[in-house]
Amino acid sequence: MTTPSRRSARAAAALLIVLCAGLGMSHEGLPRQMKRVAPARVRPARAFRAEGPAARRLRPIYAADRVLVRFRPEISEAYADGLLRSYGFPIVHRIGAIGVYSVKTAAGASVAETLAMLRRNGDIQVARPDYRARLADIPNDPYFQNYQYSLRNRGGILNVSPDIQPQMTSGADIKATTAWDVTLGDPETVIAIVDTGVDMTHPDLSGKIVSAGHDFANNDDDATDDVWHGTHVAGIAAADTNNGVGTAGVARNCRILPVKVTDANGDGFYSWIIDGIIWATDHGASVINISLGGSVPDPFLEDACKYAHDKGVVVVAAAGNDGIASVTFPAAYDAYVLAVTASDYNDAIAQFSSFGPEVDVAAPGVWILGPAPQWYVGEGGLPYLFASGTSMASPHVAGLAALIKSAKPGLAVDDIMKLIRYSADDVNKTTLPGRDDHAGYGRINMTRALAPFILK
Amino acid sequence: MREPRGRIRCVLTSLALCAAIGLAPVRAAAAGLKITPLAAGLTYENLSRTVVWKGDADSAKILANLISARADLGFGKGIVVSLSAGLALTDFKRLSFASLPVSLQYDAPPLAGFSLGVEALAPLLKFSDFEISGTGRFVCSFGMSKTWPIEGFVVEGKAAGSTSWAEAALGPRLSYLFFGRVVPYVEVCARWLAAGFEMTETLGDLVGNETKRVRGDFSFSAALGADVAVSDRIAVKARVGIVPFAGGTDSLLSVGILYKF
Repeated sequence: MTTPSRRSARAAAALLIVLCAGLGMSHEGLPRQMKRVAPARVRPARAFRAEGPAARRLRPIYAADRVLVRFRPEISEAYADGLLRSYGFPIVHRIGAIGVYSVKTAAGASVAETLAMLRRNGDIQVARPDYRARLADIPNDPYFQNYQYSLRNRGGILNVSPDIQPQMTSGADIKATTAWDVTLGDPETVIAIVDTGVDMTHPDLSGKIVSAGHDFANNDDDATDDVWHGTHVAGIAAADTNNGVGTAGVARNCRILPVKVTDANGDGFYSWIIDGIIWATDHGASVINISLGGSVPDPFLEDACKYAHDKGVVVVAAAGNDGIASVTFPAAYDAYVLAVTASDYNDAIAQFSSFGPEVDVAAPGVWILGPAPQWYVGEGGLPYLFASGTSMASPHVAGLAALIKSAKPGLAVDDIMKLIRYSADDVNKTTLPGRDDHAGYGRINMTRALAPFILK
Repeated sequence: MREPRGRIRCVLTSLALCAAIGLAPVRAAAAGLKITPLAAGLTYENLSRTVVWKGDADSAKILANLISARADLGFGKGIVVSLSAGLALTDFKRLSFASLPVSLQYDAPPLAGFSLGVEALAPLLKFSDFEISGTGRFVCSFGMSKTWPIEGFVVEGKAAGSTSWAEAALGPRLSYLFFGRVVPYVEVCARWLAAGFEMTETLGDLVGNETKRVRGDFSFSAALGADVAVSDRIAVKARVGIVPFAGGTDSLLSVGILYKF
């Protein structure tokens, strides 16, 4: 766009011319359910045109000075032309093959006003904004289309395995694809995965890892996953996306900082988690995801969460998988942590989700496909698996928090937490309208949180 | 919400100009100058300016329609000062507030406000049937505010916006006096625009505020106009012009009818 000086210079030239012319892991350490992706069900990669990741910025979702109009079939072309010109539209372009007119709005008239005016005319069948098209917004990751219902749910059957094929409800998702129109995330925005570590050689993660992280169980600088859980969680939050491999992540361009706080059995102590939270905060994390927790409150754990929060880090944690009225810690530290329960492919809250007044939001956490270490799935197996738990719900929210941080770096942590809460869909409003202890404010809605609201 | 400083500055500037004009007869009388009320009437103006709001990458448009009462005062030696006051309807196309917690995009009807203006024309040089004058103009619009509901969220929300803008123009005018009752002219002006739009968003207990500004956006305009003496008492003034910029052209139009005293 023009700067004043450039503009003035060009204007002067033009003027001359014119004048001359939970570890879903409860603390027992196991996910509620898990399932590997059966090789027989793998679809070949679709032949998408692979564009490089484009820098996105906030743009209007439709043209500010143009609308599309179609007349009723019985209206003649000549009459339609005359009618549109009688409205005073300066430019009218007819798309003859489908009988649609592209109409430039009159000076000073908004799109909303123009549409309202046109729709009052009985001769006009349809009048719509001229919406902006998206370029390669649907990632070419082969499992995105058919398995990642959490990001875009088009209904149909979720083919988990021959004996697990639930029917899905179209639209029961977090509205990721339209939110990606606004931002794909900033690589400088880092999500710390405080978990069992991350498989840093995984093809869907290797390009997204900031550093080898830190292992607080073994006290070294190698946070390699020796369970599977942290790898899966990291992939949900920010798997390499549009790379033609595996799955898509919520925060497509954001990066991952692995922080290992459990041993090889998946067991960890509060002290390791506390160290992990503080280490991640001090090593550049913008968002911390904690898909694990314990049943006992601890002031030191709370202090660690407060430390991160006060340093401008959004902390997101799984509510727990015990299905009881007790949210695990640190998710229950309401002032500093977003507590996340799990919803399913029909927007129902999963029965295993723990609940309570600390629950902030829900996110998909039933049969979520994500990356897994190759050694875990075995030789020849695809390094992905389905898993369920609030552990899988939490990284969806962490990904959204990272995208908000990317798009609005000036927003305070508390404001990001409120935005995530208030922009949610109240999925259980028929039984529990408003905020409740099971879904919190509702299942997160990325588009509502990120896309501009149109003032009319 | 208002933009107190910008708005106050705009009002004070206009009031100062009005006061200066109002006091002028006294001073002028003392200095031996004669000030004559020349004409009064109504004017309509339409102007569009493509601007880049500070912090934005995309350009946006400011479209304004002004209807004003106008009075022309003569200061001797052909100097004419016009004062105007009226209503303004301003549209802010493609304006977005991306730093608010919930980004907002403006697609609302134009905002109504008040306008004040002052214009001066002073002959500088006359040769044959031509006359070169200096012309200057300042107009500001203020008092525009509105509240919109923000719907679809779990909690109630609203957005409250207020805006003001001011434009100044200065340049030479070449008039052709041959026709007598019809005086066509060409005018070239340097134009300066300042605008501010403050938006406050409230979503439950989540509150955000963003102010968009255009500070001193410069451009040049070229206009063709004519002053027509329809009769001894009635005069019509019309002007149409363009404000070119890289990638497009903005326009300006003004029409006025005046009764000569």
